[in-house]
Amino acid sequence: MKHIRNFSIIAHIDHGKSTLADRMIQLCNQVSVREFKDQMLDNMDIERERGITIKSQTICLPYTAKDGKTYELNLVDTPGHVDFSYEVSRALSSCEGALLLVDAAQGVQAQTLANLYLAMENNLEIIPVINKIDLQSAEPEKVAEQIEDDLGLDRDHIQLCSAKTGKGVDDILEAIVKFLPPPKGDPVSELQALIFDAHYDAFRGTIISCRLINGTIKAGEMIKFMSNNATYKVEEVGLFRGVSKEPQKQLSAGQIGYILAGIKTISDTRPGDTITHKDRPCAQALAGFKMVQQVVFSSIYPISTDDYENLATAIEKLQLNDAALTYQKDSSVALGFGFRCGFLGLLHLEVVQERLEREFDISLILTVPSVKYNFYLNDDSMVEVDNPAHFPDPSKVSRVEEPYIKATILMPERYMGVVMALCMERRGDNTHYHYPMPGRIELTCELPLAEVIYDFYDKLKSATQGYGSFDYSLYDYRKSDLVKLDILVNGELVDALSQLVHRVNSRARGLHACEQLQREIPRQMFKIAIQAAIGGSIVARTTISALRKDVIAKCYGGDISRKRKLLEKQKAGKKRMKTVGNVEIPQKAFLAVLKSEQ
Amino acid sequence: MSSLYIHIPFCLSKCPYCSFVSYPGMDKLHQRYVAALLLEAQWLHQNASVSPLSTLFLGGGTPTIFSGRELAQLVSCCQELFAFSDQAEISIEANPKTINPEKLSLLRHSGINRLSIGVQSFNDKELQLLGRPHSAEDAAEAVQLARAAGFDNISLDLMYGLPGQDHYSWQQTLEQAISIAPDHLSLYELTVEQGTPYHLQRNQGLLDLPDEENMVIMDQLTATLCRQAGLAQYEISNYARPGYECRHNINYWQNGPYLALGAGAVGCVDGRRRQKTCDPRHYCEQIESGQSVVQEEECLERTASFRETVVMGLRMTCGVSKIQLQQRYEMDLDDYYGDTLIHLVNQGLVEITASHLRLTARGRSFANQVMAELV
Ligand SMILES: Nc1nc2c(ncn2[C@@H]2O[C@H](COP(=O)(O)OP(=O)(O)O)[C@@H](O)[C@H]2O)c(=O)[nH]1
Ligand code: SF4
Ligand SMILES: [Mg+2]
Repeated sequence: MKHIRNFSIIAHIDHGKSTLADRMIQLCNQVSVREFKDQMLDNMDIERERGITIKSQTICLPYTAKDGKTYELNLVDTPGHVDFSYEVSRALSSCEGALLLVDAAQGVQAQTLANLYLAMENNLEIIPVINKIDLQSAEPEKVAEQIEDDLGLDRDHIQLCSAKTGKGVDDILEAIVKFLPPPKGDPVSELQALIFDAHYDAFRGTIISCRLINGTIKAGEMIKFMSNNATYKVEEVGLFRGVSKEPQKQLSAGQIGYILAGIKTISDTRPGDTITHKDRPCAQALAGFKMVQQVVFSSIYPISTDDYENLATAIEKLQLNDAALTYQKDSSVALGFGFRCGFLGLLHLEVVQERLEREFDISLILTVPSVKYNFYLNDDSMVEVDNPAHFPDPSKVSRVEEPYIKATILMPERYMGVVMALCMERRGDNTHYHYPMPGRIELTCELPLAEVIYDFYDKLKSATQGYGSFDYSLYDYRKSDLVKLDILVNGELVDALSQLVHRVNSRARGLHACEQLQREIPRQMFKIAIQAAIGGSIVARTTISALRKDVIAKCYGGDISRKRKLLEKQKAGKKRMKTVGNVEIPQKAFLAVLKSEQ
Repeated sequence: MSSLYIHIPFCLSKCPYCSFVSYPGMDKLHQRYVAALLLEAQWLHQNASVSPLSTLFLGGGTPTIFSGRELAQLVSCCQELFAFSDQAEISIEANPKTINPEKLSLLRHSGINRLSIGVQSFNDKELQLLGRPHSAEDAAEAVQLARAAGFDNISLDLMYGLPGQDHYSWQQTLEQAISIAPDHLSLYELTVEQGTPYHLQRNQGLLDLPDEENMVIMDQLTATLCRQAGLAQYEISNYARPGYECRHNINYWQNGPYLALGAGAVGCVDGRRRQKTCDPRHYCEQIESGQSVVQEEECLERTASFRETVVMGLRMTCGVSKIQLQQRYEMDLDDYYGDTLIHLVNQGLVEITASHLRLTARGRSFANQVMAELV
């Protein structure tokens, strides 16, 4: 155990976590040149396309240090976006130390701070690393000062590196061995293994990622999940070796690895749960994880109602791998059966949607995201509402409260004006600012969560040309003037398009929805009226004129195949539409309503 | 019954809307190409058992870019190799600029009995915009010459929905066409095909196409004028005096079998549809060295073929025959489509008679919407 180091890399988004992980993997010869690709650990398609890390990943690196001994370094790569801090905190709970990576040109950013706090909460030893020193604009001296003054970390421990060129990475590996503590724990006491992640494999069942706190585990043993007493026989244990898994005779205290036990009942595995031996159980379960709070809610429906069962199993499997997702059954007149889901933010929502569509091949429609409101009724009772379908009868409501957050925005001084304006436009309140370092402003502002989930982050990014960073925490609930905005298509209410909005925004949102639908619904053989309404009154409308003709003029022997394919494409397009009344509404239209105005 | 299509992939110039397999300025290749066609015909004769041909169609491109002698040779060669049924229909497409009395007479004597003239418009300004090398007068004269040469089955190709065209101009073109008393009209709404100069221009907003409102008026005008002239619509874009419907094309719409010769030509035998290489030079080389010219092959499974046959059949005014479908596929139309079909009937887009399924007049305007349900 003295030769094990479990650590994680934490940083603000784009400061180079995944790139540094790549270099370490290469230095430890862990994958062959042929297998290697950039951003090795970002193996989901969405991660590679968007260039971000969504899931944390583990890899076990054998490293021979300068003292001649071989160490087992367990590296856990983590995501940087605010939506995924839950993923980060779970990853950190399996480590003793962390590398805090800071971009030499950008300096300390909002997520640098947020992730540092998470690491401190978990009592991790921290090695500060300044990355990208190869950049022309790198200012390692200035950043070192920030690290010392703002973060209060020891300047002497700072490592300098370029994850891109590889310079300094070997020193980091040495520092890990030298400064990070080995795991504690007792290999001979009863088994305690913390499940920190899992995913489902169609052939082998659930693959559990776990950190052994005490005891050992090997194939053939009977194990038990502490939370539900489900028992299984271990089929295989092993270590993560980059692209592949490497079976081991056993795992013992301090190690991070995987367990296979032919687990086909998905709900048996819960991240945060403790695994122990059936015959020699531990006295009590490990602390597990803090419950996360979902802040954004939206319903997910399959486009084809036949896909409901598939969606149900897909969500269950996905949740295994994304513990922050919650769901319960929901139904809509327009869309049939689906699920009301809770997310950590809009990016999380998009990622879930994409993963469901890609990994499970189901086309989906999402409803307009909402936050959770508190409705106080005339009898003084309170109901929480996050779904427009459950909007109480307005005559019975005495007041409504909406959640506020406290936002922290870090940015260069010159963007202060535009960012203030953005906060005001979003009903921001009680703004304060100070200069944590020369030329940079830290702005705090209380904002309605509903305004932030919409498109605040994108707007902030563009207002500050990418230099603004943002973090938030839930703050309190405040009085709100909330209305339910309905959308009618040819007079028929499309319940899936209803949304809860503040009265001041209602007209603009209504018009936006009407315009997006007008753009995305293809013309049909009759005229289509689109209206936005609050209560009984129409607040916005658009129309789509009738299609007058749709016919292929020429079709002879040489054209048949090509024209048939065109028709087949048109047919596939129809399949991706939902019929409401007699109007066919494409999936794109539902999604367009969620998009912010540009 | 059998059909044979021969493709001549050459033209005087390339029209900016054209997406056919046709190339201008390959004059040097023409002779070699005719020779290759004859070789391919021989190969076909040796390798396929061909029942007597009831239709032959020389299309393009511009077949009449070849000399009368070359064309006559091609036809007579086919007549030597393959049997023709009595009353076989032998058509050729012609461009007004590429015919003269001698050539027409040679063609007629070779056995060609149907002439399809690419007129496109009787408005010189429109013709110019279309990049056509002929004038309205050339077109009118071509018809006269054809009649004089003994052609008693003449079709004109016209296009509407042209850039800058309004419905008055279309009315004039159509009236002028009718005044020449053609036996058959093919009236095509301009389709802006991908990869053509028109496509580029349209995307840049440089193509002033009539709006949908005007197109609907033109459609109505077309229906009225043709009906008055005794030219009955028998397919989405085709009109004919009774008995002058093009049998070669009807075979396509019935999704029947057809043989093909030439670069870019598509043949369909035993449910296998094969497209030949489009490049005329490559075509010649392959044929000369005895190698295959097939570029793409498609073979639909039974139900897919059934659906294709339904969709193609709906192009015809009479629709698709339920009995023929039953005989050919052992599948029942109503059973197969079920509610989809009932829904289309209820929307007034199709009607089901005792023997056929066909588009209603309204359904003809929305043929794609119907076909996209049935394909
Ligand atoms: N110049 C330079 N670019 C780097 C360095 N490290 C990472 N990058 C680039 O910074 C971007 C973000 O890196 P990535 O590893 O995805 O960051 P992550 O979001 O923290 O995982 C990528 O374009 C990397 O190529 C470095 O040391 N020098
Ligand atoms: S004459 Fe016909 S085939 Fe030739 S380029 Fe013009 S449209 Fe195309
Ligand atoms: Mg990354």
